[in-house]
Amino acid sequence: MTKLAIDLVQNTLDGVMVGSSYALLALGFTLIFGTMRRLNLAYGPTIMAGAYLGTYAFLHLGFGAFPVAVLVLIGAALAGLYVERLCFRPFAQTAAMASMVSSFAVWMQIEEAASLALPRHLNAFPALVSGSLQLGPFFVRLDHLLMLAVAASATLLVHWALYRTRFGLGIRTVIDHRHAAALVGVPVTRILLLAFVLASTVGGLAGFLIAASEAQITPMFGMWATTKGLIAMMLGGLGSVPGALVGGLALGIIEAQAQWLLGPHLRDLVAWGLLFAVLALWPGGLMGAAGVDEAAAVQRRV
Amino acid sequence: MDDYLVGVLSNIGIISFVALSAYVLLLAGEMSFGQQAFFAIGAYAAGIGTAMMRWSLAPALLLGAMVGALAATALGRATLRLSGLYFAIATLAFAEMVRIVFELCTWQIDIGGTLVGPKGTDGFGDIRYLFENEITPAQYLCAIYLLLALVLAAFMVVDRSRFGRALRQAGADPVLAELQGVRVVRVRLVAAAAAGALGGLGGGLYAHLLTYVEPRNFDIMLGVHSLAYGLIGGLGTAIGPVVGVLIDIGLLESSRLFVGYRMMVFGGLVALLLIVRPRGLLDERAVHWITTRVRDLIDAATARRRDHPLRRP
Amino acid sequence: MLDVVDVATSYGKIEALKGVSLGVAKGRVTCLLGPNGAGKSTLMFTIAGILKPRRGSIRLDGDEITGLSSAKIVARGLALVPENRLVFPQMSVKENLAAGAYQRRDAPGIAEDVERMYSRFPRLAERRDQLAGTLSGGEQQMLAVARALMSRPRVLLMDEPSLGLAPMMVEEVFRIVADLNREGVTIFLVEQNAHMALKVAHHFYLLEQGLVTFSGEPGKLAEDEVIQRAYLGSRRAEA
Repeated sequence: MTKLAIDLVQNTLDGVMVGSSYALLALGFTLIFGTMRRLNLAYGPTIMAGAYLGTYAFLHLGFGAFPVAVLVLIGAALAGLYVERLCFRPFAQTAAMASMVSSFAVWMQIEEAASLALPRHLNAFPALVSGSLQLGPFFVRLDHLLMLAVAASATLLVHWALYRTRFGLGIRTVIDHRHAAALVGVPVTRILLLAFVLASTVGGLAGFLIAASEAQITPMFGMWATTKGLIAMMLGGLGSVPGALVGGLALGIIEAQAQWLLGPHLRDLVAWGLLFAVLALWPGGLMGAAGVDEAAAVQRRV
Repeated sequence: MDDYLVGVLSNIGIISFVALSAYVLLLAGEMSFGQQAFFAIGAYAAGIGTAMMRWSLAPALLLGAMVGALAATALGRATLRLSGLYFAIATLAFAEMVRIVFELCTWQIDIGGTLVGPKGTDGFGDIRYLFENEITPAQYLCAIYLLLALVLAAFMVVDRSRFGRALRQAGADPVLAELQGVRVVRVRLVAAAAAGALGGLGGGLYAHLLTYVEPRNFDIMLGVHSLAYGLIGGLGTAIGPVVGVLIDIGLLESSRLFVGYRMMVFGGLVALLLIVRPRGLLDERAVHWITTRVRDLIDAATARRRDHPLRRP
Repeated sequence: MLDVVDVATSYGKIEALKGVSLGVAKGRVTCLLGPNGAGKSTLMFTIAGILKPRRGSIRLDGDEITGLSSAKIVARGLALVPENRLVFPQMSVKENLAAGAYQRRDAPGIAEDVERMYSRFPRLAERRDQLAGTLSGGEQQMLAVARALMSRPRVLLMDEPSLGLAPMMVEEVFRIVADLNREGVTIFLVEQNAHMALKVAHHFYLLEQGLVTFSGEPGKLAEDEVIQRAYLGSRRAEA
């Protein structure tokens, strides 16, 4: 195999693993968008809130990786609950922009709270496993492999929940046609809350996996998670669950190749440029053509 | 007037330009998270104007505004098919790309022994036009507010004009507007250009106030803030965004209260305010209420004058 | 079976229902006629719990259901087939039916009912895996009815089921209404098509500008005047 081919495949492998976390981030984001029909700008920060809770326990209470993971999920879910109550529940279907700006306000709250709780910029986070596996000419980090496995399992779990449980049916009806959902007896307000908490928990899991693979967490994590989740979601198609997967993996792979070829700065430029191109050319994303007009029509009522 | 107050007021005035930039697009029915791109473009362009091409301030600011307008029109063209959230994300992507481009570009020339010009992530320093021409902070403050006042006056005038009506129509319901003869595409592009010019002008002013800008100044935070200011202060009038800026930078930044957890308080207040007033403090209803009261007062005053015994019939 | 007493509902400052009182008798078809904008859909949404009335009371078989959430009202046995069908467009026919049974927990009973719907509406059986958004208007109407029936309602509310359908489908719809009623379902029907509605109704009311102005049985009173007012509204409106 030529060196170029080896590099490309290696990048793809790395990209798929990182992309699996992006997919989880996008999944949470898309669940919220699908049900709420608006963007939760506090999404990344709620994940960060969970991650910071975990870090605090790790640094000051000596918790191990698994208890930290549980705390991260709980923290993210609670933060999500707070955001849903304050920024989304009170707003009628037409005040979309108000709830988005409100979520931005909460973003600021959480970022500051995090900085107050752990004032240092860089904070250690428990790592999962170390070492790598060698498969022929390719190297695979063990913690990345674990990340992929956990992300894949979580995605399957969410899929099972959405398509095989009553709760999932409720969420899908609310996503499809909220008004009709109310008419058939779906408790819409409760479903919205639970979907939000589920989405935040999924995001929290992504956050844990990413922070653990970096073995550190900074206050920039909130914005970073929101951006990655957003780009991945839009690439795959707004409000599309399979799109979140496709978008996340695609973003991971493209970023890996771009970084190898062009370096970290240009890598980000490529990511944004790709998003812009996708929007300008195929607004529905790689998967979701149907979402375009409805979302646009709803958003127009700003 | 002490220096600190001058500084804060100057900041408020300048940030108002970005806020107004986002506001113009809101009137056109579009939500933009990317107006900071034009702020950046204007800052760099105006800085290049005075620091590198040795122009005086006015033409440099004009350059900033024009480049901002051009860039905004280009973006507007590319995003014509988009609306709502898709448009918003596209503007965000654009702004981030602009910011990263500034992080990557370096262009410096030798001015009297020192290298002057943008230098990637290090930013663009030595924009010392104000110092070199002995313009005091207070004088600059007056210039900023003079420009702002002109801009606000222009908003008032345009609001009553045919274009203003067309803009609001296109914003409220583009399909209906098109049927009523409004060229929605044209209106949106003009609005985009105007917004770009406002952002660019503000950026130029900003660069000269700070004498040094770096790409980090023009991040997503600034963009979302600009949008938020309009929504907090109220969407009913151009003064709304300025009020929003005033509340954030004025009340909170400069107040000694809540040091350390200012953002938490501000964030909470904003969230609560929006629940009560989803369209801001000076929303359309409030503005309508105020204008009718004012009109009533004026009518009452003129009526009284009409009944004055000494007035000839 | 269903008693509505002095119900008033507003949209902000606009009073859509100004104090509506009527009753739906058990096992019968009751029809609500009225011109556009009279408040018929508003009344349906109020009974179904989508809108909250400003005053008044709604009782289902003696139990107060005023102000309950729509989910609880479906659980109590009242289902609405809304105007414009409102099927779940991205979900299959099968899933739409499953959604209709959301408030039920008896899986075997639900499966049985699904089969029953398929035999009553063979066209739905043929298209059970098709996305509801791709069905024709008439098929969507059948799906909307079947979906509502999945909750085994004691009272079935139907808001303009013949709207936008071809004449042959309109006849089909009213045949279904008559069939359902014959099987014992209590039906409260809102209709623009007064002529067809009066053929199946046991009792009807006329709603004009948020108030009930006429109550009676078909065949007994001046139907022509009623039908005219149902379409055009009474002259009093112009005064």
